Amino acid sequence: MQDEAASRVLVCIQCGKCTGGCPESGRTPFNIRMLVRKKQFSYTIDESIPWYCTACNACTIRCPRDVKPSEVVIDIRSTLVENGDIPLAIQKALENTFVQKNPWGKPRSKRGEWAGKLNFKVPHISETEHKRLLFLCCVHAYDPRCMVIPVNVATLLHRAGYEFGILGEEECCCGNEIRRIGELGLFEELMEENKTNFKEYGVKEIIALSPHCMNTMKNEYGDTGIKVMHYTEVLSGLIKEGALKPHKPFEKEIIYHDPCFLGKQNKIFEEPRDILKSINNTNLKEFSRSKEISLCCEGGGGRMFFEVETHYKRNSETRVEEAQSKGVEIITTACPFCVMTLEEKAVEKGLAVKELSEILMEVI
Amino acid sequence: MSYALIISEVRRGVFEERNLDSIGMAHLAGKDAFLLIPEGNYNLNNSIVNKIIKAKLEESLFLNPLIITELISKIIGTLGAPEIVIFTHSSSGIELASYLAGKMSLPIITDVSGYDRNEQIFFKSYYSDKVFGQFKKAKESPLVITVRSGSFKDHVTEKGKNAEEITVDGPSGIEERSFVEYVEEEKTGVDITKAEFLLSLGRGIGNKDEIPKFEELANLMKATISGSRPVIDKQWLPKERQVGTSGKTVKPKVYLAMGISGAFQHIAGMKDSECIIAVNKDPEAPIFQYAHYGIVADANKIRDKLKDLLQG
Amino acid sequence: MDILVFVKRVAATQEEELRLIDDGKNIDLSKIPFKMNDWDNYAVEEAVKIVEGQGGSVTAISIGSAESDEVLRRAIAMGSKDGILMETQEAIHDPALRAQAIYNFLKKEDIKFDAIFTGVQSEDDQFAATGGILAGKMDLPYASMVIGIDAIENGYFVLRRELEGGLQERIKIKAPCILSIQSGINEPRYVSIMGIRKASKVERKTFKFNDFASRGDAIIDLIKWSYPEKKGGATMLTGEMDEICKEILEILKKKGVC
Ligand SMILES: Cc1cc2nc3c(=O)[nH]c(=O)nc-3n(C[C@H](O)[C@H](O)[C@H](O)COP(=O)(O)OP(=O)(O)OC[C@H]3O[C@@H](n4cnc5c(N)ncnc54)[C@H](O)[C@@H]3O)c2cc1C
Ligand code: SF4
Ligand code: SF4
Repeated sequence: MQDEAASRVLVCIQCGKCTGGCPESGRTPFNIRMLVRKKQFSYTIDESIPWYCTACNACTIRCPRDVKPSEVVIDIRSTLVENGDIPLAIQKALENTFVQKNPWGKPRSKRGEWAGKLNFKVPHISETEHKRLLFLCCVHAYDPRCMVIPVNVATLLHRAGYEFGILGEEECCCGNEIRRIGELGLFEELMEENKTNFKEYGVKEIIALSPHCMNTMKNEYGDTGIKVMHYTEVLSGLIKEGALKPHKPFEKEIIYHDPCFLGKQNKIFEEPRDILKSINNTNLKEFSRSKEISLCCEGGGGRMFFEVETHYKRNSETRVEEAQSKGVEIITTACPFCVMTLEEKAVEKGLAVKELSEILMEVI
Repeated sequence: MSYALIISEVRRGVFEERNLDSIGMAHLAGKDAFLLIPEGNYNLNNSIVNKIIKAKLEESLFLNPLIITELISKIIGTLGAPEIVIFTHSSSGIELASYLAGKMSLPIITDVSGYDRNEQIFFKSYYSDKVFGQFKKAKESPLVITVRSGSFKDHVTEKGKNAEEITVDGPSGIEERSFVEYVEEEKTGVDITKAEFLLSLGRGIGNKDEIPKFEELANLMKATISGSRPVIDKQWLPKERQVGTSGKTVKPKVYLAMGISGAFQHIAGMKDSECIIAVNKDPEAPIFQYAHYGIVADANKIRDKLKDLLQG
Repeated sequence: MDILVFVKRVAATQEEELRLIDDGKNIDLSKIPFKMNDWDNYAVEEAVKIVEGQGGSVTAISIGSAESDEVLRRAIAMGSKDGILMETQEAIHDPALRAQAIYNFLKKEDIKFDAIFTGVQSEDDQFAATGGILAGKMDLPYASMVIGIDAIENGYFVLRRELEGGLQERIKIKAPCILSIQSGINEPRYVSIMGIRKASKVERKTFKFNDFASRGDAIIDLIKWSYPEKKGGATMLTGEMDEICKEILEILKKKGVC
């Protein structure tokens, strides 16, 4: 994989399209075109630089020569990881993931605790008929703020009479962020552990709550024969079928933020919007940069665990300001990372951030 | 005669307060307390022990494991073997105690924080106090223990008369291990991970103008200032002061959080602090679930009051 | 300089609530992952740094079950030359027994070294005693709570020990000696999974713990475990502003920080 990246950089024509779409280039010392160039000529790269990348993939989507600059970043990071030249906060996240299978080092034995908040029992995947697995992101399992998301989605699926099961404490980090941090060996271990479970329990479909997990399981776990979906795909389908009816009005001005891993990387633009449009009296607005060119919230690529050196305005703030100028009351999105990055800035401006399932729970 | 030999910890002319826990342990076990101390002017109440054994040697030699072992074997030679040898559970205490136990093949139990007199069982911490192991010695022999500071001092009782004093000659210095000097920990810039007392500020303090007033308080309290991410983002405080998953992980003795809500990312960076005190005007703030002490109040008012008290 | 470093595999219990079973005779660790003892991680790093600077070798030694091989591999990935496992399926609760076994092992196998490093303590039993007992038995100079090694010259270590309240003492100690390393002495390097996989190719020797000491030689007995007294949630300080603030200052004083 490293050799492959090395050969791809050679075809770069330095057109700068990657930089043009990059949420970090221009505002920070990071410049993806220059990084590719340095890699082309095997120049030394300042260790602090590669960590700015949020793994949004805008560069890779725009590059006319298929250089895959975002993979070049992973390649550079993986060398730093092998040499141990990594920021302490990243090191902690990796070591925690190695031991407890989540980046915060929370006990694995508590990974299934969220299910205790439901007023019905979710079966273990082995006890289900359809072998549909609801898969949580580590954030859902441990962050009290985001724990409502699995609770909501499980409740909605249950109400729709849609059978599913969970892995509980056997679930382990999907590795999406770990791969992007450049710890490829650890990524493989996590993937193998999850795949072993999938195989053992005969999983046929995966409903991923986070676009990050969905992305890696769909595109990077190899051929598993499992259909991987984001939960908004499933819920929008259930609404269309009439299994779920958002009947209460939701008289709010809302705006939808496309998560990079759901939108630009996996082209799921409409399902979340369809869900919102199915709600009465809701006024759905759009950001000037939405869908393919949605502005990254800067929560991905390890940035969840690591603060870059320079001070600059966060994209989440830019996002919140635009929402505010549009007279919006609620920003909604379908990714736990986006919820956290946006909310941090939104509370300051008096705006609310709601994960899509939180809105759905209010209207169904 | 069954006695407890208490090895006092003295440092730079001071008889450390935690020695009282060693003495209290001897009293709780019902043994005569014989206190070993280097010669010198130490401030101690000599009616709480039965005998004071003054060793003619310097403090720095006294705290040397190789030397104290020799000294103790000499004492045993004249006074007979003690039932128990008690050290403080401190940097020097554990070093001296374990070396002694190895040299004389004695059983050792460290970090003792409880004692059952009837069963002669010692309680020691496992897994940072999550559980306690109950230990007994398995052979007839003097036992070496180190006791946790604060655990037994309440058992200290006055004996009603002054202790008898004897003096022993101390061994001379040795080349295998020698004391060079004391050094104060280097303070290279601010390192919030090394601070014992953090005054941590959150968005709830309101605005940047409040910072200098908190700095004044920090000076009065000898605290180091840290903060949550929004406070760093707004450049009220520099980046190296950020506590949390994307900042630093801290474990001070006291973490005084003012105007911090207690988001997951913040908690992950400070939850292992020995004592967390949280001031927040919202009684429902998540930080109260992690705090040892909570105060529902305006952070800035608490700050001003604390300043008044410390200045006045 | 040839350094032996003792490393232990311990349960990662930091965020767990522990459960006692069999009437307090055992702790249920069945669902808890294991890792290298934190202090030993610093000890390995310090030894490797020394050897990288002036040559020599680091050998990691662990006492424990076959799974302890995991921490040996980690130590090798960090830069140790090789690893030795003294295998025993039973937990050893007496540090004197552990030290006795090491003593017998080093003698019988005629292992040469210039220094032995241990972590100050292990996260599970927190005895902080194995290094000191071993030093006493072997008649070697000993220092614990080592927070900085300033120089190694003419067969001496010049090092700093951490005392209480921000104070340190500088001492000189003659090699061969035993040092117990305090956490914070360095920043242990990251070892990648690839690194650990490569380390798996380095040979580790296994010996039977029982060939060097038997459990019957323990000189203290663990009777059972018990829970500490339950602490409630936060104590809320209420009342007049004045009283509250006085109480805060009282707490600060009790903690010895103000
Ligand atoms: C990728 C990522 C990484 C992050 N990393 C970190 C990190 O490392 N560290 C970190 O801290 N955060 C981090 N965060 C941010 C975190 O999610 C929270 O947003 C942040 O910790 C909140 O900071 P706060 O408690 O200061 O502010 P708020 O959450 O706004 O809380 C302010 C609190 O002050 C109280 N208050 C208001 N006025 C007063 C008054 N007058 N007196 C007393 N109390 C008052 C309020 O009741 C409230 O509880 C991260 C977020 C993301 C998305
Ligand atoms: S977009 Fe592609 S070809 Fe253009 S500069 Fe970037 S990497 Fe090179
Ligand atoms: S993935 Fe996104 S942040 Fe990273 S280099 Fe590409 S455009 Fe920039």
